[in-house]
Amino acid sequence: MRRASIPPAIILAMVLLTLIVVLAVLAGWVAPFDPTRQSLLLRLKPPGTVTASGAHYLLGTDDLGRDLLSRILYGARASLSVAALSVSASLLIGVPVGMLAGWCRGWVEILLMRLVDIMLSIPAVLLAVLTVAVLGPGFFKLVLVLGFTRWPRYARTAYAQTLQVAGLPYIRAAELAGARAPRILLRHVLPNIAGPLLVVATSEFGLMILFEAGLSFLGLGIQPPAPSWGSIMSVGRDYVERAWWIVAFPGAALFGLVVCVNVLGDWLRDRLDPKLHQR
Amino acid sequence: MWRYAAGRTLQALVAILGVLTIVFVVMRAAGDPTLLLVPQGASAEAIDALRHNLGFDRPWIVQYAEYLRDLARLDLGVSVVQHIPASDIVASRLPYTLELASGALLIAAGFGIPVGVLMATGRGGWVAGLLGTLVLAGQSMPSFLSGILLIAVFGVVLGWLPTSGADDLQALVLPSLALGALSMASFARMTRIAVLDELGRDHVRAARARGLSMTQTVLRHVLRNAAIPVVTVAALEIGNLLAGSVIVETVFAWPGIGQLAIQSIEARDFLVVQAVVLLVSAVHVATSLAADLAYALIDRRIRLAR
Amino acid sequence: MKRFAASLGLVALLAWGVPALAQTAKDTLTVDLPGDAATLDPQVQWDTDSYTIYRNIFDNLVTRDTAGTIVPQIASAWRNLDDTHVEFTLRQDVTFHDGSKLTADDVVFSIKRITNPAFNSPQLSQFDQIADATITAPDKVVLSLKSPYPVLLAQLVKLSIVPKADVLARGDQAFNLKPMGSGPYRLREWQKGVQTTLDANPGYWRGAPPFKTVIFRAVPDGSTRIADLKAGKVDIVRGLAPDDAIALKSNAQLQVLSVPTERVGYLFINAQGGPTTDLRLRQAIAYAIDQQALIDALLQGYGKKVTSIGAEPIFGYQPDIKNLPYDPAKAKALVKEAGAEGRELIFNTSPAYDRRLVEAIQQMINDVGLKVTINVSDQATYLKRRQGTPQDAGSIAIGIWSCACQDADGVIFPLFRTGSSWAKYSNPAYDAAVDAARSTLDPAKRIADYRTAYQILRDDLPGIGLYQAYALYAARKELHWQPTPNESFFVMDMKWQ
Repeated sequence: MRRASIPPAIILAMVLLTLIVVLAVLAGWVAPFDPTRQSLLLRLKPPGTVTASGAHYLLGTDDLGRDLLSRILYGARASLSVAALSVSASLLIGVPVGMLAGWCRGWVEILLMRLVDIMLSIPAVLLAVLTVAVLGPGFFKLVLVLGFTRWPRYARTAYAQTLQVAGLPYIRAAELAGARAPRILLRHVLPNIAGPLLVVATSEFGLMILFEAGLSFLGLGIQPPAPSWGSIMSVGRDYVERAWWIVAFPGAALFGLVVCVNVLGDWLRDRLDPKLHQR
Repeated sequence: MWRYAAGRTLQALVAILGVLTIVFVVMRAAGDPTLLLVPQGASAEAIDALRHNLGFDRPWIVQYAEYLRDLARLDLGVSVVQHIPASDIVASRLPYTLELASGALLIAAGFGIPVGVLMATGRGGWVAGLLGTLVLAGQSMPSFLSGILLIAVFGVVLGWLPTSGADDLQALVLPSLALGALSMASFARMTRIAVLDELGRDHVRAARARGLSMTQTVLRHVLRNAAIPVVTVAALEIGNLLAGSVIVETVFAWPGIGQLAIQSIEARDFLVVQAVVLLVSAVHVATSLAADLAYALIDRRIRLAR
Repeated sequence: MKRFAASLGLVALLAWGVPALAQTAKDTLTVDLPGDAATLDPQVQWDTDSYTIYRNIFDNLVTRDTAGTIVPQIASAWRNLDDTHVEFTLRQDVTFHDGSKLTADDVVFSIKRITNPAFNSPQLSQFDQIADATITAPDKVVLSLKSPYPVLLAQLVKLSIVPKADVLARGDQAFNLKPMGSGPYRLREWQKGVQTTLDANPGYWRGAPPFKTVIFRAVPDGSTRIADLKAGKVDIVRGLAPDDAIALKSNAQLQVLSVPTERVGYLFINAQGGPTTDLRLRQAIAYAIDQQALIDALLQGYGKKVTSIGAEPIFGYQPDIKNLPYDPAKAKALVKEAGAEGRELIFNTSPAYDRRLVEAIQQMINDVGLKVTINVSDQATYLKRRQGTPQDAGSIAIGIWSCACQDADGVIFPLFRTGSSWAKYSNPAYDAAVDAARSTLDPAKRIADYRTAYQILRDDLPGIGLYQAYALYAARKELHWQPTPNESFFVMDMKWQ
C-alpha cells in the first residue's frame, strides 16, 4: 500500500469547504446586517452601494432592500444544515435497510426492497408538497420530508453493493469461521461498500440544497423571511436583468460548494476503496 | 429464472398498490378541492352542499373502497375539476413526458458516461478535471434558474430556439438541456467509479500487461462489466427525470406529467393525481424489475432465490 | 468552415426572421395565460383562466361596458315587475355557432341548468337567489327571486347562455370538451394543458371579430411569459408583477396595459381566536401598517390606497370612513397597554399572495412589538385553515378579494357576516346592517346600510383595507385595448394598430 500525498486540488477544495462552513457557523458575527431587516427605499441596489448614513452594502440588496451578503451568510447556514441533516437521516435509514436486504435475502429482502420500490416510485417533489400540506412548513419537517423521501436511494445502492460483496471469498470465509452477521456487516461489508455510498451521499448533498431551492420556488421551502440559498435564488430569478447580483452570488457560492463536496467525495472514495490500494 | 421473474412481477404489483394507498391517504389528509372550486363569496351552506354532492364528506375508507372497485374495472374515474376521465388527461400528457425524458436522458448519458470514462482513465489530467467541473456545474444550479437563463439567452437574445411551449422538436432542446444537466453528474461519477473498479481487476490488469492500449482495454474488458452499476443509476434516474421534470416543465410550459402532477395536487384533483402516481410508479417498478432481472442475467455470482 | 457556419447562421436567421417581417395584416392573436382552462363549459368552473377563454365563446344575458355600467347583451331590456320578479326582453337576431336561433327556451334552460343542485355547479352560490325562470312571451323571460335581491343584475353578468338542444343532445361531458355558444369566437381545438385555439364567428351579431384566430397558451411561469412576449412569440400576457411592468416600460415594442379593478387587497385580523381577540392589538396592527409605503415601494404605484375593504368600482364603498392612520408610536403604546409585547401572531399565507407584501407587513407589525410568524402552505391548505375554525385561522392573513359583482354585498357580506366561513368575527349590529342592504332594492337605503356596516368594521377591525389592485397586462405596442375593472378579457374589444 502506498501513501499518496494529497493533491493540491484536494487541499484547495478542503480549504474552500472549511471556509464556507466556518462562515456559515459564524454568520451571526460576520454578517454586517440583520439578514431580515428590510428598507423599502433601498430595494435592488447594486453591489457596493453606500447610503448617506454610511451603511455599506458590499453585495447589494434584494427586492425588499435587505443586505445580500448577510442573507447569503445566513442562507448558507440554512442550506448546509438542511442538506447535512437530511443526508444523515437518509443514510441512517437507508444503509441498514439495504445491507439487511442484501445480506438476509429471502422474505426480508422481498419485504424491504419492495418498500424501497414503493418509496422510490412516489415522485419526491409530489410527496414533499403533500407532506408540507399535511404537516405544515418548518425547518425540521423539511429535513424529515427530505430524509424520508430520499433514503431509498441509499438503500438501493447499499443493497446492490452488499449483494456483490457477500459473494466474495473472504466474507464467506469469515462466515464459515463463525463470525456473527452484525459483526461481518459492520467490519467487513460496510467498509467495502462505503465508497459507492459516499458517492451517493456527496451528490445527494448538492441535490438536497437544490431540492430545498425547488420547494422555495414552489413557495414551500424554508419559511420567509429566513433566507436559504434556494429562496434567495428563487426570488432573484425574477430580477435576472434588473438585479443580476441576487442570483449571481448565491449561485457562485452553491457551485463552489457542490464542486468541493463532490471532489472531496470522489477522492475519499478512492482512498477508502481497498481494490484501488492494491495496485 | 421464470419463477423468479413471476415472483418479482407479483411483488411489483403489490408495490404499486402500496404506492396508491399511501398517496390516497396523504391526499385525503391534505384536504378536498371544494373550497378551490367555489367562488370566493360562497356561503358556508353552499360549500357544504357541494362537498356533500361530490361525495367528499364520506369516510375515507368508503372512498378508498370505491376507488379500488373502479380500479379493478380499469376505471380511473372522472376528474371533479376538469370533468374529463382522468385516464384521458394523463394519456394526453404522456407523449410530452416521454419526449422530454428521452431528450434529457440522451443529454445526461451522452455527456455523463464519456466524461466518467475520461475521468477514470485519465485520472488527474486537467481535461478530465475541467470536464468534471463542467458536469458538476449542471448539478449545482436549480433548474428554475438554469431554465430561465437558457430561455433568456437562446430564446430572447439570440432568438435561436422557442422560449416555451411544445410546438415542435426545436422546443424540446432547452427543456432537455435544463433537465438533463441535473443527472449528468450522477452518470459521470457512477461511470467513473465502475470503470475504476473494473480497471483494478486482475483480468483487466493482465490485459494491460499484455500491452493492450487503455482505449482497447476499456472497450473490450471494462465497459461490459462496468455497465451493471451504470444500469442501476439509469434506472434510478428515469424515476428522477419523471419527477424532476416538475419544475422544468413549469418553467418551459412543457405540458408533461410533472406539470400535470403539481397542478393536480394544488387543485386537489384526487383522481388525476392517483392516475399520475399509478403511471409513474408502474414505470418505476418496471424499470427496477428490469434492472434486477438484468443483474440476474449479467452477474452469475448472484444466487437466485434460495 | 467558419464561412459555412456563418452562412448557416444567416440562413437560420432568415428562416426565423422573414415570416415575422412579412406579416402585415394581423390574423392571429396569441395570448399567454398562467394556466389552461379547467373546463370550457361556462356553467361549471369559474377560475380566471377558464373564464377568460370561454367568455369569448359565449354571450351573457347582460354585460358591463368599459366604464363598468351594466348594459344589454342577450337581454335588450329589463324591468322589475315587483320586488321579486324581473322581466327580461331578449334579442331576436342571435344565433348559435351551428346556425340555430338563440331563444327564450335557451335562456330558461341555462338558468335552470346552473341553479339545479344536482348539476353541482360550483357557481351555484352566485345564482341561488333565483327561484324560477318562466317564458311569458316568445321574447320575454321572467325571473322570480326568493327575496328582493339587489345584486341580481351584477350576478347575471356572469351567466352565459348555452344552447339547450345541443347540450341535451350531446350530454354535459361532450359539451364541455367541444362547447358551442353564440359568442364572437368558436372553438377550433382544445389541446388540454397546452393551448386553446378559437376561430372567429364571421356572422356574429355585433359585427366581425378583430382577429381570425385567437390562441390562448398555458404558461405557468411569469418570467417565461415575459420572455415569450419579448421574443415575439405572443402578443399579450396576463399576470404581470409590478416589478416586471416597470422593467418592461423601457422596451419600445411593448406596452403595459393597466386599470384599477374591483379587486381589493386586505388584511384579515382574527377577532375570535388567538391574541388578536383583544381589540387593542387589532388597533395596534392597524396603526402599524404604512399603506402608502407598501403601495409605493412594492406595487410601484400599480395600486391605490383604500380607506376600507372596498374600492371605487364597488357599490356601497365609503371613501370618507377612514382607516386608522399610520402611527407606530400609538401602536407600540397599545401593544404595551395590552401587555402583549413579543406575543406571537401566526400569519397564514400561500404562494398565491405576493410574498414581498407579506414580508413587509410582517416587519411593520414586528416593529411595534409583536412577533409575526409566517406560515406558507399551498392554496388548498391555506383556504382550509383560513375558512376553518377561528382557532385554526391564524391571527392575520392577507387576501385579494373580488366578487366580480362590484357590490359590497359580494365583499363585506361573505367576509364578515356571522356564519360565513370567512368571518372570524360576529356583531349583531353589523349583521343587521348587511342583511338589510341585501334585501331592499332602494339604492339610497342600501348606501345608508353600508355606511353603518363600514363604520362598525372600522371600530371593530376584523380586517383592514390595504389597496385597490390593478389588473396588469403586457402587450405588443400595436394592440389597442382598454382593460376593464371587472377584469374581463373580451377579444371583441381589441384592435390591432
